[in-house]
Amino acid sequence: MNALLLTQRALVQFPRNPMVLGFSVVPVLIMYLVFGGLFSGVSELPGFPTDNYFEFLAPTALLLATVPGMGNAGVSLAADLQSRYFQKLLTTPTGVGSVMLGRVLGDSLRLAVQAALVLLLAIALGAQVETGVPGAVLMIVMGTLLGIVTFGVVSANLAIRTRDAGAVQAIQPMAFLLIFLTSAYQTTDHIDSPVLRTIIDLNPAEYVLRPMRELMLSGYQWDHIGIGFLAIAGLGLLGLPLTARNYRSVYG
Amino acid sequence: MTSSSTTATAAFNELIGLADGPRMPDIGDAVVLDDLAKTYRDGTEAVRGISLRVAAGESFGILGPNGAGKSTTIGMLGTLVKPTGGRAWVAGHDVAAEPIDVRRRIGFAMQDVGVDGFATTSEFMVLQGRLHGLRKADAVRRAQLLLRVVGLEEVAGKRVASLSGGTRRRVDLAASLMHLPPIVFLDEPTEGLDPRSRGAIWETLSALRRRLGITLVLTTHDMDEAEALCDRIGIVDRGALVVEGTPESLTSAGAPTLEAAYLHYTERQAA
Repeated sequence: MNALLLTQRALVQFPRNPMVLGFSVVPVLIMYLVFGGLFSGVSELPGFPTDNYFEFLAPTALLLATVPGMGNAGVSLAADLQSRYFQKLLTTPTGVGSVMLGRVLGDSLRLAVQAALVLLLAIALGAQVETGVPGAVLMIVMGTLLGIVTFGVVSANLAIRTRDAGAVQAIQPMAFLLIFLTSAYQTTDHIDSPVLRTIIDLNPAEYVLRPMRELMLSGYQWDHIGIGFLAIAGLGLLGLPLTARNYRSVYG
Repeated sequence: MTSSSTTATAAFNELIGLADGPRMPDIGDAVVLDDLAKTYRDGTEAVRGISLRVAAGESFGILGPNGAGKSTTIGMLGTLVKPTGGRAWVAGHDVAAEPIDVRRRIGFAMQDVGVDGFATTSEFMVLQGRLHGLRKADAVRRAQLLLRVVGLEEVAGKRVASLSGGTRRRVDLAASLMHLPPIVFLDEPTEGLDPRSRGAIWETLSALRRRLGITLVLTTHDMDEAEALCDRIGIVDRGALVVEGTPESLTSAGAPTLEAAYLHYTERQAA
């Protein structure tokens, strides 16, 4: 219950901090338009899964909204730790887990709306979501969960260690690396470098992006969707206890 | 009597009426410390085995110089700092083993005021109340009354971030009282406040004690505050309790004033 009250608090905060809303969605939409236009010729390569590059790029743009965007949860956590409001919350019958969950849920809802905006722009540019609204919802859920277990975890841990919102913000480019080292802009079949292909194969984000793209372009590949959720669960099982341990080691 | 003080009194009376049930379960002592200790990871021994008891309804002041371990002690009682030795019970609950039970029964105004800069004063207070289980309508009403009691009605709609340091402190204190807790911990409650605000806070706390029988535990290095608010005082230095007693007993033991007693006991410790 207290986690939901804190989710509500996060949702009230967003419109009062237009920087969060503006800078987490506008650059993504611009990148989507620019990269979609610049690389549109890629869709003419033989064997490319679609002739509309914006369609191919839509899941990438969705991840570009949700993964770096989840960094805001870490920035807000650092700000609350810095201002001691986090500690104030802990003087109420609220556990550390509820405080963090409230923040993550708030940011997840914001990111889900932003991800939906990306998909609406894709549709406006002639793209189609093959699996319709349920598939689009599944894509948004997968993208948001990936954001939580990757950059959400990294930024939360940095916030716990530094209590410095600026330091958390500074690592935002790392989130782009995670996405760029996938088949974000090109199918792996069309990537020549074996080194790059190996890196992509080792990147858990690739196993989430792949089923998201299938939901966009072809249909439900349940085995791939299952692998995607397994990758998310694996990262979560690694990251969430690590965060709890980190918190205890600093404040315990 | 001015109209603003009449309004504050009326608000206070209504607030008192909202207190439900006995303010303190019949457990004898409200706060018990048994050899309570805290050593930080860097090896700093902030608190070195403090034992004391605070009776229900009593006001106890922890007096000591900067770095004496006052904030760490009250932080442990408020469940924000984990003890590394000994035990402590608040309202009968172990602070280390049952922190949520402890938090249900305490209000805690911290030295570093922890407020949400994006929220309005009213939103900040209502959320504090709701986190303590109050229904929204009740939390809204209590926030209005408490702001009236501490003379801050006019800042209800203002962002907390825009308030001065002293006003934030008063808002934080008012927020700590939202659930009308039986035990209130105050870490340097009036530090940095002007004399008028300080007097208003002392008056509010004294009235709450009188009317609701709440237990107060506060840290301070302000002798006037200790004398104005505390039934008993414990002087701590270098993490240890040097002496405890009523202000009268401390001053009658050879020191003419509380300040003289404080200097006497802390200097003796330094020697």
